[in-house]
Amino acid sequence: MIASAQVWLVSAIERHSPVADLMRTAWAWPIAESLHFLGLCLLVGAIGSFDLRLLGVARSVPIAAVHRLIPWGLLGFAINVASGLMFVLTEPDQYIYNPSFHLKVLFLGIAGVNASLFYVTSFQQAFGRSPSLDAPRRAKVIALVSLCAWMTVIVCGRMITFYRPGPCVGDRGLILTCDPD
Amino acid sequence: MSIDPFLVWLESSALSEWVVGSDSLLAFPGILALHAIGMAFAAGLAAVLDLRILGVAPGVPLAAFRRFMPVLWTGFWLNAASGVLLLVGYPTKALTNPVFYLKLLLIGVAMVLLVRIARLIEHGDMAAPAVARTLRRLAIASLVCWSGAITAGRLLAYTYTRLRA
Repeated sequence: MIASAQVWLVSAIERHSPVADLMRTAWAWPIAESLHFLGLCLLVGAIGSFDLRLLGVARSVPIAAVHRLIPWGLLGFAINVASGLMFVLTEPDQYIYNPSFHLKVLFLGIAGVNASLFYVTSFQQAFGRSPSLDAPRRAKVIALVSLCAWMTVIVCGRMITFYRPGPCVGDRGLILTCDPD
Repeated sequence: MSIDPFLVWLESSALSEWVVGSDSLLAFPGILALHAIGMAFAAGLAAVLDLRILGVAPGVPLAAFRRFMPVLWTGFWLNAASGVLLLVGYPTKALTNPVFYLKLLLIGVAMVLLVRIARLIEHGDMAAPAVARTLRRLAIASLVCWSGAITAGRLLAYTYTRLRA
């Protein structure tokens, strides 16, 4: 099921990629990579600062004041979704069959669900009528999960190049981690 | 005088051979991953301090950034250490590429700017317009240096002319 969806996705992208021609010009790929690294710094700088504040760093500063950094973290995330898509839409087989990319997407999902949990569970204590300076314990757990998830995303992203999928031989498993073509 | 004998010696050292040749994920791939994490915290937190100086998140007192500095410095030293290991792994690749020296220069300037910004926040008269203006200039220069350093670092993979001595 998942394997056939992967094959379909790779062939669909290979047939109609809107950016492949652009990305194969001389400096497009390195420029997109540089943007991807700049975006990740912005993301970790802003979201990491907020996580550190929830964990108790610079405790005298209101949580809501540090939260004003979050839009900059989202800007970094947007830069990285855009530049990241450029890579996937140019060499889909290198990512969609890559186990390190699978883990990266998994941890991106964990980071996303975890961030939503913060707003569902801890919004009142952080931004309510009388916000407390010390974040509630569950917000601290969320902050720690956030820092770990983003670091794992970076590690998995950096590892993609060392797990390039080779041609499939023998048992293929539930999720393809090799190139069936 | 050629530095090639030095490069040959370094490349034949046990440490260099481990960094480049080991099958362990902790060798070259792990060092690269640490270098990316250190970059995220060093450059990321420096950029956030610069953005704050330029008016973002005005409710955060500049003095509070002192609390985040140990994390920034941890990222920096993590990258100094992982960077030295990467350099020991591929000394010819880096040392024969002018872009590598540009990257080091930009990081050096960025760190000098960071120290000047931190001193000014600690001891400067924040109410004085001249101090505020200086801080803004330093912050813009810092953002330019970090962006340049990161871009130069990424371009190292595309601009080298010799891989090994």
